[in-house]
Order: sequence, then C-alpha cells, then structure tokens
Amino acid sequence: MGPPPTLPTSHSFSSPSPKTLQETKTPFEIRFALLSSLSIQNHGMRHLKGEIGVVSKADGSALFEMGNTRVIAAVYGPKEIQNKGQQMNNNEALVRCEYSMANFSTGDRTRRPKGDRRSTEISLVIRQTMEACILTKLMPRSQIDIFVQVLQADGGTRSACINAATLALADAGVPMRDIITSCSAGYLCTTPLLDLNYAEDSAGGPDVTVGILAKMDKVTLLQMDAKLPLDTFENVMQLAIEGCKAVAQYIREILLENTKQLESRRGS
Amino acid sequence: MVGLSEGEKQFLRGGIEQDLRSDGRTRHQFRSVYVETGVIPQANGSARVRLGATEVIASIKAELGKPSLLHPDKGKVSIFVDCSPTAAAIYGGKGGEELSMELSVALERCLLGGKSGAGAAIDLSSLVLVEGKVCWDLYIDALVVSSDGNLLDSLAAAIKAALSNTGLPKVNVVLGASPEEQPEVDVSDEEFLQFDTSTVPAIITLTKVGKHYIVDATSEEESQMNSAVSVSVNRNGQICGLTKRGGAGLDPSVILDMVSVAKHVSQQFTSDLDSEIAAAEASDE
Repeated sequence: MGPPPTLPTSHSFSSPSPKTLQETKTPFEIRFALLSSLSIQNHGMRHLKGEIGVVSKADGSALFEMGNTRVIAAVYGPKEIQNKGQQMNNNEALVRCEYSMANFSTGDRTRRPKGDRRSTEISLVIRQTMEACILTKLMPRSQIDIFVQVLQADGGTRSACINAATLALADAGVPMRDIITSCSAGYLCTTPLLDLNYAEDSAGGPDVTVGILAKMDKVTLLQMDAKLPLDTFENVMQLAIEGCKAVAQYIREILLENTKQLESRRGS
Repeated sequence: MVGLSEGEKQFLRGGIEQDLRSDGRTRHQFRSVYVETGVIPQANGSARVRLGATEVIASIKAELGKPSLLHPDKGKVSIFVDCSPTAAAIYGGKGGEELSMELSVALERCLLGGKSGAGAAIDLSSLVLVEGKVCWDLYIDALVVSSDGNLLDSLAAAIKAALSNTGLPKVNVVLGASPEEQPEVDVSDEEFLQFDTSTVPAIITLTKVGKHYIVDATSEEESQMNSAVSVSVNRNGQICGLTKRGGAGLDPSVILDMVSVAKHVSQQFTSDLDSEIAAAEASDE
C-alpha cells in the first residue's frame, strides 16, 4: 500500500483530506487553502455521492457524501411507540432523531460523550426538518426513528445528514410530501461560496445552512452564524437554495435509479 | 431485539442439530468475509469488514506520546468500540454503552495481553522510539455500522485489517544534552514503516445453542444461545485470550472441546481473512 495520507506534504490541496485542512491553522495557510479551493472548485458544489441500502438490518438506509464529508443514515419504523411518555399527539406519528459522530470522523481524535450540546442541537434540527416533510398524520400512534452517523466530517455535516436522512426515509417507504434537501453557503473574500468545507467554515465568514422542500419551493431550515449585510445575505441564501436544488436533482436521480433496480429485480 | 415465533425457534434449533443452518451453512462454517482498506483518509490505517450483514469499521490513529513510568520500554495501545444507533435502534441514547464497553474490554483482553502488556498480540515494544521518552500511542477506534451477530469476531478482523493498512511515519529523535530535556522529534512525511500483523490473532466465538455449538452466529441464532466462548487464536495455533459470555454453565470438558474446535476453525478463517486483506490492499493501491 502507499503511504497513508495523514501527514501529507503541506501544499497538496488537490484532494484535501480533513486532516490537512484542520492542520492548516495560520491565517496564511487558511487563505492559501481558500484560494486553491476557490480555483479548483470554482465556488461550486463539492462532489456528491449517494447510495441506498447500506445497512441491511434497517428499514431504510443511505450513505451520502459531500466532498470529504460522509454520513450514514438509518431509519427504523414506522413501528409501535416504545416509550408512551414521549407521545405528544395521538393522531400523528412520533419522529425521533439521533445524531452521532464517530471518534475517527475528525482530524484530531476526540472522544465525545453521547448527547453533548452540539449533537443534541443537530438532532433537534434534523428532526424538525424531517417532520416538515413526513406525512405524520397518516401514521397515528406510531414512531419513526432516524439515526445519522457521521463517518467523516469536513464541513456541512448538517446538510449531509439531512440529505442522507431524506434518502433513507425514501428507502424505508415512509410517506413524504416532498423531498427535503439541504446545502450550505458562505461569504468569503467578497465571494459567495457554495457548500463550505472545514477550512472555509473555520476561516470566520458566515455560514448559511438552508433546507428546502424541493418541489414546493419552501424553506424549512435556515441557520446562519456571524453577520452579513442584508443585500449580500439575499445573494448567499439564493446561492444556497440553488445548491439545494442541485442536490435535489441528484437525489431524484438516485431514487429513480434505485426504483428501476427494484423493478428489474421484481422481474416486471 | 429479535422477535422469533415458536415455530421459527424450533426450525433454527432443529437445523443446528442436523448441521444445516437456516442460511445453508454447516455448524463450523463462517459467512464469507469482505474487506476494504483505507476507508478513512484522515487515519493512519483503516478498514471496513463485512461478515454477512454485520459491518464494522476500524481506524488506527497514531500519536507521539510518552511511555508510562511502569513500562518505559512499551508503547500504548487503547481500543474503543462504539455501537452506532444505525446498527439497531436499541443502541440509541445510552443504550449501546454497555455493549460497547463489553466489546472494548473483550478485545483488549484478546489483543493486548495482561496488565503488564506481556503476551500482547501487538508488539508493544516495537512502538517505542526512545526508551522512557518517546513512543507511539495507538488509538484503535471501531464502529459497528450494521449488526447481524458475531460482532466480536468481525471487530477483531477489522482491527487486524486496519493494522495491516497502517503505516507509521519514520521518526528521527534527537536527544537533548541533559537527560531532563525533552528530545526533539522530526516526523517524516515520506517514509512509512509497515506494521507486522502476522502475530495478530483471530477471535473465534463459539455459540452454544442446545447441545451443539456454532461459529459466526447471526443475531437470530444469538438470541437462542445459552452461552458463548470467544477464543483468540494466533497463526501458530496458540491461544491468546478467552472470554465466556452468557448465563448457562458449561462443563469444563466441553470448554476444552470448544477451544480445540476454535483452533481448528481459526486456521481456515485466518487464511481467508489474510487473502481478503491482501486483495483489498492490492486494489487500494
């Protein structure tokens, strides 16, 4: 085997591994990373990859990659509610979500306790976003569990998790209004940037994460940190929405391909 | 949890008695093993192992550290297992912690030897760069992505594959003038040293269902077990560690019999695993 890419030569950003990016901490190096990623990616979307049915025991599952960010989502349910105390409304399905990060997902190895503040917040965000599209009224007195696991984190884990969850829910056959897709955008060096990676995210600019119902053209998730002039915000959000639509297009292709395969396996 | 009806249980037990399990295997036959290496780019070494529907990922991260005062001539290795809730809904929240801990401890027992580090499958003294000053700390993180029984054996196989995928960077250590001074360390980013994994044992778990015992049980079969014995056997047929799980008692003679079966089965499994690892390494390049 070749040498593992953990300790790469300092200027090989053509295929930035998360470790490389997290090690570049001086302002100069971050700028350098930015400039090279600008020139390489042409402020477009990173490479997308989706795969359905990666966890055989789950009712629905999917893998989703955005550049070096890689997440798995698994859906269990609809099934009987396990903990009756959690049931809020008798006429709707209960949606639960749990976000977890693997120890090896980041460049620096960290061991996080389960249920820290960040993962609780992201779990909540994903749950609320997915609730917006699941037809919960059709499945009263039942529960749907969504589990997302981050294998590699290189910025935009939130978006990747939502996209993976959408695929997994579709794989599980959970009735949905529309597909939800998500993408982030930022603003650095007077350029709006789509789909930020870790280095771009940690350079200090704003990070706008948007989730949309693709066909209905409605925003269901919108988060931003840092400050941004109002007219620029409009542009950045528009860019993120464009990104979401591109992801939606890709997700539709995967679902269509998957359905075709299922059809051919059934032999009709 | 696995929900089986009375009829299904009967079918499963009857099959095991007649040496024909529900997926067509015999009692001492493993499911086919699939290995992929280099799956986590930010780690020093990593591997994904699939055994039927069970899927685990192992990653190795090496950091420079200081040997402990008690064992200045040995590096440090720690193993952490995480059961992802994606594998089963019961691992959500704090649900998987007990199992994660049980698996981590069982793996440490089988791979790292006793407290002194004697008899460890991974040669701890090869991790020392300067005695008492600098050594490698290996962090082995494993993640259970999908679970269909026999987690321990798959985890051990994944760790072995990840170790053989691991390259430790060559390090030049310049010792300071006085012994108190911290040595200067220069980590090479071009030269890598391979890890010798020929001594890493395979873990074979024998699950007792009824009167007979089977290897590589699926989760349906595990739900019917009375007790299980996990034996770690290295390439020379030596036993490196042993764990018994499950409530039911076992006759000592049965245990000895199980160990000899494990030894026999491990030869086939190790050679299968080795050829899979070699194939994965070849396609990784």
